[in-house]
Amino acid sequence: MHEALTSIPCRREIIRAHKESGGRVAAVLPIHYPRALFRAFQILPVELWGPPEIDPQYSKAHLQPYVCPLVHNALSYITGPESEVFDLVAVPHTCDSLQGLCSILTDLILPRQPVFPIYLPRGRRESDAQFLANEFHALYRKLEALTSLSPSEDEVMACILREEDADEVLAELNRKRKFLPLCQRDFYHLLRSREYLPAERFCELAKSFLAKAENESRDKGLPIILSGIVPEPMSLFEFIERAGGVVVADDLACCGRRLYGPGEDNDVFRRMAKSILSAPPDSTRGSSIQERADHMVRMVKMSGAKAVLFYCMKFCEPELFGHPPLRDELNKINIPTLVIESELSEASLNPSVGSLELFLETILCG
Amino acid sequence: MRLTDALRYYVNTRVMGWTAIRVNRLYSEMKTRFRKERKDSYTAPPLRISSRTKEMIARHYLDGRFAKPYRKVAWVTSGAPVEILNALGFHLFYPENHGAICGVSRTAEEISGEAEDAGYSPDICSYARTDIGSALSGKTPVGKLPPPDILVACTNICQTVLYWYGFLAHHFKVPLILIDTPFIYTEASDHSIEYVKKQLEAAVPIAEGVAGKTLDERKLKDFMYKSRIAMDLWMEILGRGAHRPTPISAFDQFIHMAPIVEMRGHSHTIDFYAAMLKEVDRRIAHGIGAVKNERKRLLWDNLPIWHKFRFLSETLGKHGVVLAASTYTNAWAELAPMIDPEKPFESAARAYLHPMLNRGAGHKLNTMRRMIEKYSLDGVILHSDRSCKPYSIGQMDQRTLLMSEYGIPALLLEADHCDPRYFTDARTTTLLMAFIEMLGQ
Repeated sequence: MHEALTSIPCRREIIRAHKESGGRVAAVLPIHYPRALFRAFQILPVELWGPPEIDPQYSKAHLQPYVCPLVHNALSYITGPESEVFDLVAVPHTCDSLQGLCSILTDLILPRQPVFPIYLPRGRRESDAQFLANEFHALYRKLEALTSLSPSEDEVMACILREEDADEVLAELNRKRKFLPLCQRDFYHLLRSREYLPAERFCELAKSFLAKAENESRDKGLPIILSGIVPEPMSLFEFIERAGGVVVADDLACCGRRLYGPGEDNDVFRRMAKSILSAPPDSTRGSSIQERADHMVRMVKMSGAKAVLFYCMKFCEPELFGHPPLRDELNKINIPTLVIESELSEASLNPSVGSLELFLETILCG
Repeated sequence: MRLTDALRYYVNTRVMGWTAIRVNRLYSEMKTRFRKERKDSYTAPPLRISSRTKEMIARHYLDGRFAKPYRKVAWVTSGAPVEILNALGFHLFYPENHGAICGVSRTAEEISGEAEDAGYSPDICSYARTDIGSALSGKTPVGKLPPPDILVACTNICQTVLYWYGFLAHHFKVPLILIDTPFIYTEASDHSIEYVKKQLEAAVPIAEGVAGKTLDERKLKDFMYKSRIAMDLWMEILGRGAHRPTPISAFDQFIHMAPIVEMRGHSHTIDFYAAMLKEVDRRIAHGIGAVKNERKRLLWDNLPIWHKFRFLSETLGKHGVVLAASTYTNAWAELAPMIDPEKPFESAARAYLHPMLNRGAGHKLNTMRRMIEKYSLDGVILHSDRSCKPYSIGQMDQRTLLMSEYGIPALLLEADHCDPRYFTDARTTTLLMAFIEMLGQ
């Protein structure tokens, strides 16, 4: 790991420090949610993308084997001893499985913490923006009841602006990725620290790396785009690197699909809603296949990628439906694609390494 | 629209097609009348209305086959607010119903194989896979499907329809109207109702544009009124299941639910369910049960296993077990009281927000408890349907709670509503036998 990255505090440290300062911590499930709103109530949102390498023994008593590993792991984690640090759990209704998880947590399993659902609309129409703003307003009321705090509009706006700064820095990191003195795994480690670092800490850290950007591209290898939900286990990047590939852009739910623009509205709730709806196309928010294909083709052209790797989580319907038509569209511009499935663990990734190597080798030789 | 198109449509459907179907129905009814009852059968003979159900479905598919270019065709999800489309004269096609037909006719595996060959994962919903396979290959057990002019997907049954109809819109290059219905935990918020209402209102000009006509509010109210009557009748029929012996089983309900899903809002659907109710009442009057020697009464949760109807009904019937009620068929009845023809958009918004699948796992558990009491049930079979996550997630806890807190025996049966690869006769028989034994004498 890059020396400077070792200075990034881990989740545990950040959570402890935040709690010692009197704040609360929320466990937040994927994908989209209003970070600023939680921060306005002095709640630090810490994202749970699984987490990986969890023993899903507990969840097996509650969820069928055909539910995705992210939801299995999340349930095992939330109901396990390590989640005691969380004061609440927020579950965006990203897909049927996460919606189902939220529903059984709320009605049947009843974890220690209160569970807050966040319904995300499946479109980008004006009615969707207004509905989402209303949802955020309702969430404000719930957080108000939980914390006995009532942040003013100015205070919420201050938090929004901080998050917008962090979003801008995140976008800048993506734009300058090939000039940064980081290997792929370290680069994604840095990007993903946004999942738990407070916006201001993230900005500080990211800017320190941006300042070290070099003049020449460091990318050596076959440029590829990585698409999927979450690149877990992170050793995926090492496998890609070893096979001669380099990720030059991504369409990952935890990274590239969350490059939010500013909300452009003076009402705080509408501003947060519009910001989320401004993100790149996303299978879970009702983006059409054409929108997603156009976005991927644009990414290919801008990044100079020569291939696309669809890294899919087992049983993830939103992703699985999109692969065949997206691959067709990419094939039309002679971009080869590969789909590999994993279950958030090293053991599930290993069998796919061979096909990944073969895929990249074939392109490199061709 | 040309006069010749209209003429061709009416000759092919109403004059020739419907006549042939009617003759077929009359012949089938005659055969039924003179057929001797099988003594070795564990179940009552099929309801006489069955031949009319077949006739209605056949007519509906025939109308679809000859719809173009005379009528516009809308492909819709089973929970879509179809009254607007009906009022605009669309022919409605339900891919889910087509999936069920493929399941019953055991063609789903072959047709969904076409989708799998095109790269679609066997882990996606088997209805969607079958539909995609059919769209890609043209294969269908019903002859020919009418290509859509518009698609309407409502998320009140699942989010899968979002991706599925996304494929259809991409494949057929037609507009997709999305009605997004926020999930309900306790009660629908005002802003959720307003959100759905706005989407319904916004859908009108799009649908009008495709239909080439303006929505007549009187027609809309009329369709809503008739939908409501049909749903009320359906609810009454299901309620008759509370009699002992139960006159209709869940298997009968699965077969006869097609009109309430596909043709609600039409006069002939009301006539059909009125006739069905009479027949069910006749059975009650004569003490005829759906299963001979009824011993135990069960609730079925989730979609049916379309490809194993006979196997399941005979295996259960043999032991005097009847499926007296089903949470699935109930879903098309429970919303009736919310429909108010005088407030078509607001009441539709409210009604279409409330299907059981769009509500929390606790609500479903309470529904099951209520049904267990109402229908005097002895146990529950929860079909853990790998193709329907919204219905299936929560079943493991619901089963535990039914058993531990309410003392109701419950069985979790792993299968798939359409894909036979996830069902084995031997394993299911063993499970059912053990469960029936557990129910006691």
